[in-house]
Amino acid sequence: MKNFQGSATTPAWRNWRLWFVVWLVGTVIFGVLLVADAWPWLTGSPHSTFRNTKLYLWPLGMVWWLLVPAVIWLQRKMSDIDCKWPWSPIRHLLLLGIITGLFQLLEAGRILLANHLPVAFLPVVISDLHRMEGWNYLPALIYALLVLVLYATSFYGRWRAGQQLTGELQVANARLETRLVRASLDALKMQLHPHFLFNTLNSITSLMRNNRTHEAEDVVAGLGELLRRSLDHRQEAKATLEHELEFLRRYLAIESIRFQDRLHVEFDIAPKCLPTLVPSLILQPLVENAMKHGISKDPAARLLRISAARDGTRLLLTVYNDGPPLPREDAVLSSGIGMQNTLTRLQMLYGEEARLWLRDQPPHGVRAEIILPFETLSP
Amino acid sequence: MTSFPRAHWWISLTLLSLGGLMAMVFFGPRQSLPVIPRPAGEGNVLREAYTQYLLLDPHRRLAPLPAYNHLILSLWEPLVECDPATGEPRPAAAQSWSWSEDRKVLTLQLRPDARWSNGDPVTAHDFVRSWRRLLGRPMELAQTLFPLRSAEPFHRGQLKDPEKLGMRAMDDLTLRLELDQVRSSLVAELADPMLVPLHRSSEAAMADNAYFRDPALMVTNGPFQLLWANDDGFRLLACEFYHGHAEVRLAGVQFIRANSSSLAPLLVSAGVVDLLSPMPFGESRPGLTERRMHLERELELGVTSVDFNVTRGPLRDVRVRQALALALDRTGAINRLDSGHMVPAWSWIPPMPGRPGLTLLQEDATQARRLLAAAGYPGGQGFPVLQMCLPLRMRSDPFLATWTECWFRELGVKTHMLYEPQDVRAKRLTATGEYDVTYGELVATVPDAGDMLSVFLWPVEYNSTKWTDQDVVHLLGEANTKTGAERLALLEKAERLVMAAVPAVPVMFNRRQALLADEVHGWYEDPLGRQSLKRLWLEPVTTLDASPEPRT
Repeated sequence: MKNFQGSATTPAWRNWRLWFVVWLVGTVIFGVLLVADAWPWLTGSPHSTFRNTKLYLWPLGMVWWLLVPAVIWLQRKMSDIDCKWPWSPIRHLLLLGIITGLFQLLEAGRILLANHLPVAFLPVVISDLHRMEGWNYLPALIYALLVLVLYATSFYGRWRAGQQLTGELQVANARLETRLVRASLDALKMQLHPHFLFNTLNSITSLMRNNRTHEAEDVVAGLGELLRRSLDHRQEAKATLEHELEFLRRYLAIESIRFQDRLHVEFDIAPKCLPTLVPSLILQPLVENAMKHGISKDPAARLLRISAARDGTRLLLTVYNDGPPLPREDAVLSSGIGMQNTLTRLQMLYGEEARLWLRDQPPHGVRAEIILPFETLSP
Repeated sequence: MTSFPRAHWWISLTLLSLGGLMAMVFFGPRQSLPVIPRPAGEGNVLREAYTQYLLLDPHRRLAPLPAYNHLILSLWEPLVECDPATGEPRPAAAQSWSWSEDRKVLTLQLRPDARWSNGDPVTAHDFVRSWRRLLGRPMELAQTLFPLRSAEPFHRGQLKDPEKLGMRAMDDLTLRLELDQVRSSLVAELADPMLVPLHRSSEAAMADNAYFRDPALMVTNGPFQLLWANDDGFRLLACEFYHGHAEVRLAGVQFIRANSSSLAPLLVSAGVVDLLSPMPFGESRPGLTERRMHLERELELGVTSVDFNVTRGPLRDVRVRQALALALDRTGAINRLDSGHMVPAWSWIPPMPGRPGLTLLQEDATQARRLLAAAGYPGGQGFPVLQMCLPLRMRSDPFLATWTECWFRELGVKTHMLYEPQDVRAKRLTATGEYDVTYGELVATVPDAGDMLSVFLWPVEYNSTKWTDQDVVHLLGEANTKTGAERLALLEKAERLVMAAVPAVPVMFNRRQALLADEVHGWYEDPLGRQSLKRLWLEPVTTLDASPEPRT
């Protein structure tokens, strides 16, 4: 599937790997600095005390340097996996408590070390801190602000991406509509082609002269239906295969009069494929191509076979004619405006999920093949 | 969408586990915690906790807290020390002293066997050097030496020649002090830790805390010498050159810094230290560990008072002041608010070694109403609102609210409290005098009743009561010429006169308490918190009893 967001290049400053490296380098520098500073104390130098070290003297707020990446990761993870009430807020509340406790614990740990008290006194020191200074809610406040900023940034980013996607989709839809209109016009042009029109009118005259008025009426009705459908600009981008085949039958009914008994049309349509959604007017250019470059070029050619089958999640549409093979030097697919238009419409509607081939079918004939996602109207 | 669909469960589980672990730590055991055993070889080293930042410089005292006194008096020995039982001065670095006939010249004879920690003899020159240094420092505490001739102008920079100071080393062992006025409490005042001698090398040792790097630089004359010093404290070692080395039973003393006054008791409980003075009130935690400890309580030599500006309105009338004094409910307020710490004050001077306290005031609301009516304010009618001038730090003091409530309830006297910054309040007290009542806290620096009464001799501008009485001046002047029982009798007379005039109402005396491990022996009361650690010793304790009961 074509990625509409992928078209914009991510700026370097938004690259998290870059930031992670900066953080890691900073952490290593900090760590080395702290250890070097505390080295005399760590090695038991008699003139050095924990109170002398930056571990003790520096404010505890420096711990945020270590915590921020974890908070960012956790916030992204939590907002990604579960935004449902009430789990996400509960987890954040738990984190608020843990962060508050962590800072209290670190402060108590520092006091414990500075005063040479054993670890068993940690609960007592924590209780003392609480009694003397109350809970320090600043870390919780910082965490809450950080998470709020992260959420706001995330929502803004999503909103921006949504806006961008909507814009791109609108452009794509407009292009698709243009293509559809062009397809309609192509079909109309084809049907209004003087040769086609004159042949059809001659066929009607001939039928009427031979008192085959019912058949003449059918041709006139078919031509009218073709013209009406082609001129219908309100039509949707997609129609059911059944509807598309009905249109094709009217077209072929007219063409069969022109070719008289030489044209033999076969439909091989799996019934379960009839409600499938296909792009409007997707088959007509292929059939027209088969008539124009296949059957009409070889007097011996007469077979036109249209088939539809389901292959798992895909729909396979084929248009076969037993006309002459494709000219080597000329790719019909690329040269024909109708075929090119069909290919573009398929890409716009389905991206990489749609395919169109036009190839020789030994020993005789040419086969046009379309693969689409198997879609039906939602119930 | 995530590639790890169970991530939220793991995250939740991790968070819950972390929270649980934290809760276990937070609500962990707080009773019967282990006691850290005394380090091997430290069995005879007394460890004292302190919370105030301490410097090994006798002339840079921030506040006269016991731990500071203990440290200075462990390292240095002043000329005299005060007897714990009687408060009388007794020989220390000086072996004897004598007054001139007019009692304006004091001659002190130093011990010939006094030595510095490096073996140098302690001489009178060392005291002169130290005291000149003290007078040259910009600190108010130098006023301890002001009784000496020319000391005050020298301190204020009005006199440059130190030779004109009233202190002279007649020879190595004779120190002569000359006074401007008679002052019989001078000898006791020489026990002040600030008045210790300094070795000629001390200045260099104290500069930039050089003793941190080289403790041997710090040469002292006390029972202990510096072994090492760092930000965690000071380690002292019994000094073999000290003249009384044979009587010192401790091998050493270690001063260990605690982060806060509430944390310091934990250090005693945990076995990190053996002594904490002062021990904050309300911080006892029986059962925290199994260490045996006890509390020792002593009265501080000071008084908390309500001072009247006797130059203002109805307060000029002694009956009004007596009425206000009688209406105060000291006992009820103290029992209700802080019975462990405070003691009701019934006179100006608290009980002290060699001098029991007097009961010169009482609580009698009926008599108070009668006196106020006699002064022309029955039921407080027509009595102006009293302007009470207070420092900002007292904004939440519960006692003041109680006392002013007493005045209103019993006498119908209303009070308006003015909480002001220190400088504004000082200006009001000394310059403008626009206040009726203020709050006073007096702390003595000498174990002598005369020192506390001398506040009423201060010049009017520095005396918050603005009260003077010639009889009191005469009595205190006479007491300065006497010693012993004769002096005490004169001081009692003066105190009775002051309390009869009630320029200030003594309301409370402060108690100080020390927390000691039961191994510590030899502790004694000292109203100035100047216990000499050389008198203490350690004995192992076998029985376990964790409740620190006060021994007052």
